[in-house]
Amino acid sequence: MKSSYLRASAALACAVLLTACGGDDGQLLLGGQISGVTKPGMVLTNNGGSDYEIPVPSNGTGVTTFFFPNLISSDDKYDVRVKSVPSNVDINTCQYLYNTGRAGFDVTTIQISCAFRTQALGGTVSNLKGELILVNGSDRVIVPAGATTFAMARVAQDAPYGVSILTNPPNQSCTIANGGGTMGAADVNNVTVTCAP
Amino acid sequence: MKSSLIRPALALALAASLAACGGSDKAEFAVAGSVTGLVYDGLILSNASVPLTVAPPATAGAAVRFSFPDTLEYGDTYNVTVTGNPKHQTCAPGVPADGLYTNNADTAGRLKTIDIAITCEINKYTVGGTITGLTGANLVLANGSTGGTYTAATPATPPSTTPITYELPVVQFGTTYGVTVSRQPVGQVCTVSNATGTMGDEPVKNVNVVCVAA
Repeated sequence: MKSSYLRASAALACAVLLTACGGDDGQLLLGGQISGVTKPGMVLTNNGGSDYEIPVPSNGTGVTTFFFPNLISSDDKYDVRVKSVPSNVDINTCQYLYNTGRAGFDVTTIQISCAFRTQALGGTVSNLKGELILVNGSDRVIVPAGATTFAMARVAQDAPYGVSILTNPPNQSCTIANGGGTMGAADVNNVTVTCAP
Repeated sequence: MKSSLIRPALALALAASLAACGGSDKAEFAVAGSVTGLVYDGLILSNASVPLTVAPPATAGAAVRFSFPDTLEYGDTYNVTVTGNPKHQTCAPGVPADGLYTNNADTAGRLKTIDIAITCEINKYTVGGTITGLTGANLVLANGSTGGTYTAATPATPPSTTPITYELPVVQFGTTYGVTVSRQPVGQVCTVSNATGTMGDEPVKNVNVVCVAA
């Protein structure tokens, strides 16, 4: 008799354990890292549902970790995609890594990177008689003597820009008008460089 | 008589086989590896106080192989460290592509070959200076489009006369910077002096901003 009690209680303990492990209420995280979030509007889905809008990170880099508020269960299939993007992101640029699979443990390795829409940055130069070097931060452009226009590297929408002079042409001094601002949804081509004498 | 012939023959055979086992045929391990990210001259690696100078690659961006002249025998330990950094760079033992941990120190023979990873990065320093005369809120400074921004705290009332020291995010050696006013403070116009330059080997602290009433 003793052994049959033991068996029954062992079976019960097993059942309890299995319920705790298996259950319908998920307990595994689903998330990873995403880039391209500087504005509200980045919405992810899992298996076409569970819409989740990524909070905008405060550091301004647009890179943040994310976890779906809905937990998933062991052995669940997952397929995480971008459903909609903020206005400054092109959804066609979004690239995925490890975004599909079947959960065994917490899923923390999904990587999604979306690129910002970019706009041209440039303007006009007048009376340039030697070589002029302009910078927009780390972007460095050499403007040759006699040039009347210049173009800097493209700038992401909503990013600041500030064109300034790194090196004046020999025996000349140049000034810049409209050199700084925040990139909007249209190209900037009104940066004006005037050199004297 | 027979046995007396067999004995020396055996002894000879034994001696021959012992010679084959010992000496030159014993496994030897070269303390070798590769350096990634090396751009400038001056990297010195050391193992057991023996220095080895590693020159940058002929093709920019390529990894550089290195191998110490002295080989190790099975069971010898090694510990390769960076004893001299290249100009404008900082190097350290790195994690190999197929590994999880640094592998600069170990025992020869634990793995088939020794392949140490060393990684180098170009030094980065902050760009900054002082802001004087700020009374309005919302001043934002920017270093181009990708160099980060600095948002000044709203000045106290009445504003402090002590200049504010600010720092923008780090810039890599040899990269240009150009600090501009991305947003003027309320009721004021700020101008930036020493706004542009190329990053050297120390933080830039002279990009000074002066704000006056608009």
